[in-house]
Order: sequence, then structure tokens, then C-alpha cells
Amino acid sequence: MTQRSLELPVLHSRRVDHAAAAATFTRDVPRTDWHDDALWFVREKRDRAAATVADWEALRQQASSIKEHALSHLDEYLEQFEAQAVRNGMHVHWARDADEHNRIVHDVLEQAGARRMVKSKSMLTEECGLNPYLQSRGIEVIDTDLGERIVQLREEGPSHIVMPAIHLKREEVGDTFHEHLGTPAGLADPIALTRAAREHLRAKFLAADATLTGMNFAIAETGGFVVCTNEGNADLGMSLAPVHIASVGIEKVIPRAEDLPVFLRLLARSATGQALTVYTTHVHGPREGQALHVILVDNGRSRQLAREEFWTSLKCIRCGACMNTCPVYRRSGGHSYGSTVPGPIGSVLTPGLDLERYASLPFASTLCGSCTAVCPVKIDLDAQLYRWRQRVTQAGLSSTTKSVASKAGAQLLTRPRLFRLAGAFARFGLRRMPSRVIRLAAGPWAKTRDLPSAPSESFRSWYRHNRSAAGES
Amino acid sequence: MSARDAILGAVRAARPPAVVAPATRPAAASDQSLLIDCFAVAATAAGAVVTRCAANDIAIHVPTSAPRVLSAVPGIPSTVAIPDDPRALADLTLFVCQAALGVAENGGVWVATNDAWYRAALFLAERVVIVLAESTIVSDLHEAYTRIDIRATSFGAFVAGPSKTADIEQALVIGAHGPNELTLIVVA
Amino acid sequence: MRVALFVPCYVDQFYPHVAIAALAVLERLGVSVEVPDGAACCGQPPANAGYAKQAQSTLDRFVDQYQRYDRVIVLSGSCAVHVKRHAGARVAECTTEFCCYLHDEIGVARVAALGASFNKRVAVHIGCHGLRGLGLAKPSELQAAPFDKVRVLLDAIRGVDVAELSRVDECCGFGGSFAVGEPDVSTKMGRDRLRDYRTHEAQAVVSTDMSCVMHLDGIARREQIGLPMYHIAELIAGTAASR
Repeated sequence: MTQRSLELPVLHSRRVDHAAAAATFTRDVPRTDWHDDALWFVREKRDRAAATVADWEALRQQASSIKEHALSHLDEYLEQFEAQAVRNGMHVHWARDADEHNRIVHDVLEQAGARRMVKSKSMLTEECGLNPYLQSRGIEVIDTDLGERIVQLREEGPSHIVMPAIHLKREEVGDTFHEHLGTPAGLADPIALTRAAREHLRAKFLAADATLTGMNFAIAETGGFVVCTNEGNADLGMSLAPVHIASVGIEKVIPRAEDLPVFLRLLARSATGQALTVYTTHVHGPREGQALHVILVDNGRSRQLAREEFWTSLKCIRCGACMNTCPVYRRSGGHSYGSTVPGPIGSVLTPGLDLERYASLPFASTLCGSCTAVCPVKIDLDAQLYRWRQRVTQAGLSSTTKSVASKAGAQLLTRPRLFRLAGAFARFGLRRMPSRVIRLAAGPWAKTRDLPSAPSESFRSWYRHNRSAAGES
Repeated sequence: MSARDAILGAVRAARPPAVVAPATRPAAASDQSLLIDCFAVAATAAGAVVTRCAANDIAIHVPTSAPRVLSAVPGIPSTVAIPDDPRALADLTLFVCQAALGVAENGGVWVATNDAWYRAALFLAERVVIVLAESTIVSDLHEAYTRIDIRATSFGAFVAGPSKTADIEQALVIGAHGPNELTLIVVA
Repeated sequence: MRVALFVPCYVDQFYPHVAIAALAVLERLGVSVEVPDGAACCGQPPANAGYAKQAQSTLDRFVDQYQRYDRVIVLSGSCAVHVKRHAGARVAECTTEFCCYLHDEIGVARVAALGASFNKRVAVHIGCHGLRGLGLAKPSELQAAPFDKVRVLLDAIRGVDVAELSRVDECCGFGGSFAVGEPDVSTKMGRDRLRDYRTHEAQAVVSTDMSCVMHLDGIARREQIGLPMYHIAELIAGTAASR
């Protein structure tokens, strides 16, 4: 018996106002153009890479089908993964929510006497708020992905799940490194800055008591997992630290080793336009003398799985292609979404965690459908955004003005005679009223746009006078 | 109730109606002679230096001037000993090892080991040289996975180029945290 | 075969000349078209704003009015997509968009035979719903054989020079309630399209959707960018230049 209900936790937390954040972002027009161009460039790289794969669209379909199959048998694959992982010498833990995840990580570190941890990119641990949790307990946590390290030093969150510092200019990175790493003031050359980071982080890798990584894929059949990086940071952590903790959302389990090439051929091409990330590391057991702990995390995923309209969003392989292509994301930046995962996929995953807080996210879209078209696992993102909008209004979370206007509008559109009257009235007003008054009445539209010029006659009126046969209704 | 039971219970209750697993794609047939060129192009695009040579000439293509060399390839001597603690390899200049196969579509090579020092050297060394036989180059990842057993070793990785990052203003920087250079010696 | 033309609410009120042109084109092509009176709207605007439940009666009225027709030609890509996705099977099946109808069922030869001409360099904007929802052209994201029904129709108009744009099919930023709910990003998106058109020296904009035009033209006129905008029906009808 399955319970395919729509359960919406409504926690009363501060609302994210995407439009307000976007208003601030777009005020700096050159910077908005720069951000938009940077991300569009990545979208173009993705297009070129996809074009080199003859069966790209078929591959997307296959990836989608494998994921839907896996999710519809998720409990079986989780059990299989656990059994095989244990056979491989890993410790397997389960965490119902973020707190439990963080406590498990802390316990493992405590028991190992570990005080210094290096981390590679894991959006899951961002979601769980792991860093502040550990830091407040005296554990040094160093994010080792260069982009993540940059935002960590700046005490910001990442603005993109693959390119965490895409919102920053090189001068800003230079300033941060000057302040925290002692690089010369004004040094902004990416190569020099990267070398400085390399040296700084190399010392951290060598001194680490523990490392924490995410997983791109967990393989049920073999009890292993895959971590993809370009920098080699995850591997430096895994190769050297005596304790390795690998955290993963339960939705990341795939059935078999032979499923991996389907996803790997799509992932890097979708994310950055590379054929493959520099390192595609497969872990099937601890290093000799190392302790390897795996944490399987739910944190709202089983609730999303129960939502008939939204469960397929769990197919996500975190490539970020939807962000790169989204015209709204490119012009408002990742921080404007106020969620760990921003952009179209964030707007489909996050409302399920707190509908009131994230009510504005499904509306941060024109429903253009570009995201759906680039998603390597064919999540129908625009359709889900549409459906979340219905949930938001049904929960009474739309702004009052919008609610009243839309309901009134809906009434009007159902009654042709009333509509014609209103339309004639509007056109009359447009022709006769001073533009100042019109702009006031037209609200946000008229701040930057003229209204259409008003014809004296509607089409229906013209048709009646010029065409209509008797008896038509 | 344990977290495990709670999560599995929640998943069982929540899961959508069963979706059948799709059929496996058959591996594509490929022309071996084209594959090597294709591989070289892809590996070069990923930032690797690709050299082709006869089996006897491998040593010629390994830079011997490097001060601290660790080699896992017979015939290429090491100048440092294999340490107990992989951290001792922190200032390794050159690591020479072998790959089981190469993948033409992405220029990646499969390196797998159970040895901690081998794995650490692959990432700590400033420069890495990887030797592979041209007969082991396959067309794509689907084919690669039919040839390797990912479970056979605790570590296995596709390595496609030297480490890199574009995290600062999308400017590509070769040599991030891992090696700055990767040379692939494709042996006839 | 009973064919009806559905004129979207905002076209009826603010762009009647577009509907007049579309009707003229269909009539000249020998299609006997009825324009029934009883349904003003398909319900898409409130539905997309999250009020699908409230808009159901509007859609029901549409279905009621148009279910007796074998073909319903909709003068908007987004309206057509809404009907095809949310109306009952028969009406959804019978509903098509104006350009799709001309391209798929009339055929470009008969459209070319109308002898239309328009001697301008044009920037083409296919509304996103028509593009990705109805398949008016191959979306730039998709890896498939290229096709562009709108381009085929434009090529049948003498003198039209289609500008190659930097971003072939980026959204204009209208998005219905998005235009007022997220006015800053909406305006920025519109301005960016206009900049693309001007960079490529377009003398006019041709679109498949007047909702997009309402937004782009609104910005263009506010910023005094002299860039006339038309629905493709106006070019085929030969009424564009005279407006």
C-alpha cells in the first residue's frame, strides 16, 4: 500500500522574496550583463558538447528511465547498497534529517579524535548546515573545492551548485585571498590566485584528520560510489585522511555499474561542456588503515517521493544545466533564491521543504521551458513549476493583491459580455486618460513599458460589423 | 525505531508505481585505427600531452631530470622509495603509472589500485605520466564499463587530463590541487 | 470540416488588426473560417498565475464553444499550448496554432502563392510556448535535425531578410504574471532581446505571439527605440507596411 499524498510542511519562517532580491541584483546593469554572459557561455559549451554525442536525446531518455526505475524501487536499492557497502568494509549510517546527519558526522569525528576536516563539494552538507554545526563544536572545516573555499572565506553561500563563485569577479577573489591568505594586494590573476590556493590547501590536505565528500552516484549492485571533480581535491582528501565520511541523499542510488556510463556521458557535458570531469573516482572500500563511513540522508526526500506531481524532481544529478540556461537565474543570481539549490531545480525541490518560505520561487520563471529541454534526466521542470504555483495559491500563500486580481480576472475571462465591457472600458481609458494616470493604474507594468495603443474597436466588434452571419453565437 | 527502519518505511510507503528498467544499450562497434586518433584529440583537448611510441621506447618519453620520481612501471626506475605513509609523497615531482584502458570519446584512462601510495602519488605528484597500450583504447564509456570491474579495487578512476579549475571568473587554470601536467604514453 | 478561429482575449481587445489579418489570410487560402462569439479566453493567464482551479470555468466555456469544430486555429502559441495540455481530449486534439496550421495543413506553396512581400530585415521571435510546447521550430537546446516552420513561412514572403541573432530563442521575459510579479528581470530580458535585434540591424520584429509583442513593444516604445513589431499574419496578409 502506498501513500501517494501531498504533504506540505508549512513552517513559519521568513519568506524568500525572489523578486526583491532580483530587483537589487539587476540594478547593477553591467554586472548583470557580465553574470548573464558568463552563464550563457557555459550553456553554449554544453550545446557544443551535446552535439558531439550522436544519440544525446536517446541517452537523456535512458538516464530518465533508469532514474525513474531506481526511485520506484528505492527501498530495495538502498538495502542492496547498504549490504554491498558493508561487504566492502564501509560503515553505513542512516540519517532521517539534517540534525541527525550532522550528529553522526560529529560522532564519527569525535570517536576518531579528529579536529581538522577537509571537505569536497557536497550540496547535501550545505543543505544540512554541517559547517557551522561542526565549527561551533571546535572542528576546523575547510572546503577544498576552489570556488567553495572562496565563498567560505567570504562567509557567503555558493551561488551555483557547480560553479560556487560564478557571481564573483577576480578582483573580489583577489581581495579575499589578500585578506585571508596573504597574497599581494591587487593581485587578481586567476592563475596566480589558484597557485596560492593550491599551496594553502595542500597544507590542509596533509594535516587533515578526516575528510568528507559527497557522492555523485551510489551503486547498489557493487556497494561503491562515484565522486567527480576537476581539481582533484576530493581525491587528495580521500587518499590522505585516516577517516573518510561520504554523505549522500538517498535519491542518488542507481542500480548497476553498467548504468554509470549513461549518467557520466551526460553529467560533465551538461554541467560544463567537458566530455568528462578530470577525475571520475570510484570508491569500493576504505584505504588500508582508513575508516570509511557512509551516511544515507533522507531530509525530506521520502516526502518528495510521495508527491505524485513532483517525485521525478528526485532524478536530478546536480549538473546545474538548468541554472545556466535559465534567463531568470542568469539575471538574478543564485543567492536571490535563498535556497541551497537555486534555479529551476531548486524552485521545484525546495518548496516541498517549506512552502511558505519558498512560495515565491515557482514564480521566478516565465515557464519558457528551456530548463526542461537541457535537463539530462528529463525532469519536466516547467510543468512542475506550474504545479507548485497551484499549490502556493491553494495554500493561500499568494499576496492578497495578486490573489484578488487573479480571481477577479478569472471571473472576467469566463464571462464574455463582461469581458467585452471591461475591454471597451480599458480601451476607452487608454485613449482618453492622461499618461500619468494610466501609468499609475497599470502598476508595475507601466514602470518600464508603454501600454499597447488602444484601438477604437475590438476584433469581435469589427467581425460583427464586417463578417458575422446571422445565427452565430 | 531506528533511522534505517524509519527511512526505509517512509520510502516504501512513498514510492511511485514501479517503472521498468530500460533495456541495456549494446556497445557500439568501432574502428580501432580511428579510435587512437580520436583518443589523442580528446585527451589533448582535456589538457594532456599525448605521445605515441613503441614498447621499447617508453623510457625515452619519461622526463628523467625530475628530482623525485616514483614509478609503478617496470623499466622506469624510481628515485624515491614507497613510503608507509602516503603523506611522505607530498613533494613528489613525478609519478609514472599504467592505465588499463583509454576511452576515445573523452580522452580518459582507467587507473585502479588497492595501494594507498599509488593512489596518493597520482594526486600529489606535480607531474604524472600514464602509460597505456593502444590496443586497450575503446570507443566510449559504455564499452569501457564492459571491460573493467570497478569493484575489484578499493580505488579506480578515469583520469582525463591534468587537474584544472575555472572557478575564478571562468578562467581556465591548468593545475589546481592535483597534478599540473599529465602525459599519456600510448604504446603500440 | 468545420474550422474555427480563436482570437485570444488581448488580441481581440488590443491588436484587432492582427486578427483581421489572420482572418484575411485564411479566407484567401480558401479556408471557410467561423469565429464564434461565446468564449473570450482560454484561461491561460490565471492558470499560469496559479489559479488553474478558478480558471477552469473559463476553459470549460472554451471547450463548450469549440468542441463542435474539427479544427480550432488559435492565434497564439501560448494559448494553443494551454488548451492542448489542459482541455479534454477532443478539443486538445483539434486545436492548433496559426503558423502550425499554415505550415502543416495548408503548405508553404499555397502561402507563397498569396504573393506577399515585405522588404525588411526582420528579427524573428517565436514565443517559448509555441517553440518548445508546440514544436514550431527545433529549440536550440535539443540535439535533433533542425527545422523551423516559421522560417519556412517567412521564406515564402518576398523580400524578407531574416537576421541571425546572437541568442536564437531566448525568452522575451513576458511570462504572463511574471511581467508584473518580477518586473525587473522581465524588463531586463526584454531589453536584452531588443539589444540583440538592434545589434543585428533588424528593421522590424516578427512574432508568433502578440503577448510577447505587447511586452517587447511596450519597452521599445517607452525607450523610443523605433522598431516596429508584427505578427507574422500581418506580413502574409500584406497589411504590415501600411499600419
